Parts: sequence; structure tokens; C-alpha cells
Amino acid sequence: MPWREAAADLARARAERPVIVPGPDGDLFGIFTPPAPEAPPAERCVVLFTRPRSHRNRMWVEGARRLAARGFSAFRFDYHGNGDSGGEPGRLDPNRPYRGDAVAVLRHLRRELGVGRFVLYGSCFDAATALSAFAEEADAIDALAFVAAPVMELDEVVRLEADDRKDWAHLWRAVRKPDNWRALGSLERWKYMATVFERVARHPFRDGAASGPGPQPSRAFADHFGSLARSRARALFLYGEDDPEYLSFRATQTLLWPGLPAEVRARFEVVVWPGLVHDGTLEMERQREIFEFVAGWIERHHPAAEGAWTSA
Amino acid sequence: MTSPATEFPAISTPRTTAEVPFFFESADRPLYGVFHPAAIDRAGAPVVVHCHSLGVELLTNYRNDVMAARAAARLGVPALRHHARGHGDSAGDFVDVTFETLVEDALAAAAEARRRAGAGRVIWLGTRLGALVAAEAARRAPGSAGLALWEPVHAPADYVRGTLRGVLFSRVARGERPEETVDDMIARLERDGRVDVHGYFLHRPLVRSLDGRDLSAALEHWSGPTLLVQIQRRPRLAAPHAALAATLERRGARVTAALVHEEPGWQFVSNPAWQSAELVRLTAEWLDAVA
Repeated sequence: MPWREAAADLARARAERPVIVPGPDGDLFGIFTPPAPEAPPAERCVVLFTRPRSHRNRMWVEGARRLAARGFSAFRFDYHGNGDSGGEPGRLDPNRPYRGDAVAVLRHLRRELGVGRFVLYGSCFDAATALSAFAEEADAIDALAFVAAPVMELDEVVRLEADDRKDWAHLWRAVRKPDNWRALGSLERWKYMATVFERVARHPFRDGAASGPGPQPSRAFADHFGSLARSRARALFLYGEDDPEYLSFRATQTLLWPGLPAEVRARFEVVVWPGLVHDGTLEMERQREIFEFVAGWIERHHPAAEGAWTSA
Repeated sequence: MTSPATEFPAISTPRTTAEVPFFFESADRPLYGVFHPAAIDRAGAPVVVHCHSLGVELLTNYRNDVMAARAAARLGVPALRHHARGHGDSAGDFVDVTFETLVEDALAAAAEARRRAGAGRVIWLGTRLGALVAAEAARRAPGSAGLALWEPVHAPADYVRGTLRGVLFSRVARGERPEETVDDMIARLERDGRVDVHGYFLHRPLVRSLDGRDLSAALEHWSGPTLLVQIQRRPRLAAPHAALAATLERRGARVTAALVHEEPGWQFVSNPAWQSAELVRLTAEWLDAVA
């Protein structure tokens, strides 16, 4: 269903304030949504990591106002080089998150607005950037919703997907699509196709035994995940089982989870849905489903919520 | 109806930008805007008011609007960008957006821009469907002194069909066999009131409000300086653009037609965000000449 703006949402919209955060790579433009004064205070600010900050169909705008109507404050912003912000744009790689932007935002909100506790939410690159904040601000973060991000270098994700899901029939269908031939004008697409072809060609000769050291998490993910594990924050990891990104997470999970103390594993929740989550934002129903689920999880961090978690 | 602006200062420590994000009112709802004050004095300079395109196209083209506004400000021409209701950070439901509300919000933005800039004249800059909005706003607003059209939509009915065709193409690209045609989708839009277009709904009230609209008709009485930028890979001006330019010139308008040989996927936000230095340069040069 389309979003209908309720009176409470409009009231929160009226209360919103533009915020400019001086960041290391340019001024970051964002919007702060104060909590509704009539709602029991959650005393936490939900920072919505997204690009651009409203996203298609404005679900982050809706989400900020909804959470604020329930007592959270919320903040959404544009990374440097994106949206209204200053700085130079660059290709976003989830394994090179914008940690400087993330940390600058949390510190600015603390210094200028007195926000002490945070809940972070992002998908893909945005999830990786939210996670990176733990390296410097772990003590201030109560929870992280980490949605459908690749956790290995991207060429490793391509190799995993080719090994797991692609075969000659897939390649045959691909070469019959004119769009794929047109896309070969780009060097990156050439590299992608070459990798997929090479991996599929090796299938008949594989005996199931892993060759080499096996897939490894990216350096950035491993470092930032370590900071998360050492913190006291709860984390939700949400993927679709058809997401290529999930293959990287699943492989990483087998490496990282066994070494985690039980107390840490108890704070982490891994949810895998049938179908796609990473590209779910391109379909209205799925987009709603994802957002509702994550917002519901975040709302459990409200001290007055039914079944609320106490601070971890 | 336009109400006074909501005067919330941005929360900020000392910073490098002079740009001012703020909320102002249109039809009793807060709309988000960014004012780019002139960086240098330019006597009698007009103010540029940006009119974005529809839905996700606001986002696709976002950085070009930002960079063009910054370029204008550097030339001494202030600019104001805004999010229409139901778009971006503004209030309102997308389901309630119609052509008339887009024009109403553009006029409210122009009133706010003139107040902030102290300018008597407005130059309108519209992208795609926003070009049609800008043309209509220019017709209604006093002091309209120029019109910049970025890849304008001439006939909204074709625009809607093209958007739906893009949805079907993307299904084919994913290896799916489309189960309906564009006509089927339009019938479904009429029947159900909406259709999903890559993650946002195209709603019946908006589509109906575009019925019978036409850029050429909106510019029937326009003879001011006009920039028409085609953003396509093709080497020559497309027929509808050329016809519009010829019509305006016959009416005495000074038309600058320009080509930007880029092909953005208007429905998809690219990585990195699409930013056309050529589009910004051409627009700044034209502004410098007419402002």
C-alpha cells in the first residue's frame, strides 16, 4: 500500500530541522527529526544511512517520522559527494565505507544536539558504513540493523556467485540478451563476464574440495565486525537467500561465528528470507516488508516497548 | 496557498558552505529547499528556481541540480532548489501529487526565492517533467525572465508510456518474460489506481492530471530567453526538441539549443551519482549570458 501521511507524521515533518555536519571530506547535509513530545522518550537517535537520504519512494523519510512519532529521534543525511552535501563523488564500494562521514555525524549529533545513544540502520554500502562507526564510537551505539551487504571484496562475491549459482545454461541465456552485449562496452562488465565464464568453465573439473584458502571476509568487514563483537550492541543481519551478497555473508558466518563467545552470539540475530532483499527496494511490496521488519526490530529498543530489550 | 516560511536555522557549527537548507510552506505543508546565495555581487541578478522531475528522477538528476545551483551562485546568480510535496524531504503524500500541485509548489518556491534573494526576476530551470512544470509556472509567475529546459518532456502521455516500457525492459533484462504490455499496465493503473515503477508507485490522479498537457501549448505565449538541452546519445537534436526550438524562435525567443551526449538511466540512481560537467557548464554559460 502507498504510504499515507498521518497527522502524527505531518507533525514530525513540521518539527524537522536541517543540520549541516562538517565532515572530513565536505559538509554533510542532513535532516534531524526530533521525537514527538507526547511519546514516551526512547532516548535514542536512529541514524538512517542511505543514498540519497530519502531514497526512492521516500521510505527513509517515512521511517524517520514514524520512529520519531514513537519517541525516537532520527537523522538521515547525504554522504560527501552525494545529494546536497559537499565534497567529491566517488564510486561507493561496501568494502571501503565512509567511516569518516559516519563518525562525524555521530559526534556532531552528540555535541550539537545532546544525543547520547544511537541505533544505526543501513543496507549494502550503507550497512557497511554504519558498521564502520563501531571502530570509533562503539560505546555510544546500542544496535545495528545490517541489511544485505556484501562482506567480501566484490570480485570475490562475483566468484562465489558464479561457483554457486551459474552454469552453462545461465551463460547461454546471458549471451542471447542484447543488453548484455551492449554492457560489454564497460571494462567492469568485461571483467565480470570473464570471471563468470572462467568459474563456470571450471565447474566440471571441481571435485567439491576447496582450492586455496577459501573465501575470506574483506579486511574492512573483519575489522569493523570485530569492533561490533567487542561492543555491547545488538545486531540484526537481514539477507535474502537469493542475494549474491548472502553467499558472502554465509561463507563469512562459518568462519567468524564459531569463534564468538556465546554472549556475543546471543546479541546477534541473523534472518534470511526467501527471495531477494538486496534488490527489494525496487519492488514496492518487498520494500515495505523489509522496512516494516527492521523498524519493528528497532522499536524493540524503546524502553517502553512491549517485549523491549534491556540495554545489552 | 503560500504561507510564510518556517524559519528554522540550520543546526551547524562553523562550516565552509554558504548554502542554506530550510523548510518553507506551500498549501500548509512544509517543503524542503536549499537556497544558494550569490557568491559575488551582480546588480539586478535574477534568481534561478529549479523544478525537479517526477519520483525517482528527482534523485537521478540530483547532483546536476546541486552543481548547477552552485555554479550559478559563483556567477552572482542566486538559486533555490526545492522538493515538491510528496517528494524528498518535504511533507505530503506522493499519491496526492498532481500536475497542479507541482506547479503550486514551484510558485511557492519562486516566491520564497525572490524574498530571500531580493530579486525581481526569476529564471526557471526544469528537468524532464519538471520542464513542463517550469513552463507552466513561468506562464503564471510575474517576472519570469528565462527558461532552461533539461531534456524536456513534450507530451506527458508519451512520458508515462516510456516509463512503463522501461519497467517491462528491466523485467526482460532480468530474464523474465513480461506478462503484460504497456497498454495492460495503463489499464491496471486505471483499474487499481497505481502501478509499481521500480520501487515507487505511479498514481492515477497524477497521470490523469497530465492528460492533454503539452509543453508547446504551455509555452504558447513565451518569448523569453530559453536554453534547451538535449541529454541523449544521438548526434542531432531530436525532432520534438527541434520543433519546439523553431516554434519559440519564430515567436521571437532567443533559443540556445545544446547537446549533452550522455544517456542516464533516468529511473535508476547510478554509482557514483550521475554528475554531468558538460550540462552544468552549458547551463552556467547560458545563465551568465542572460542573467
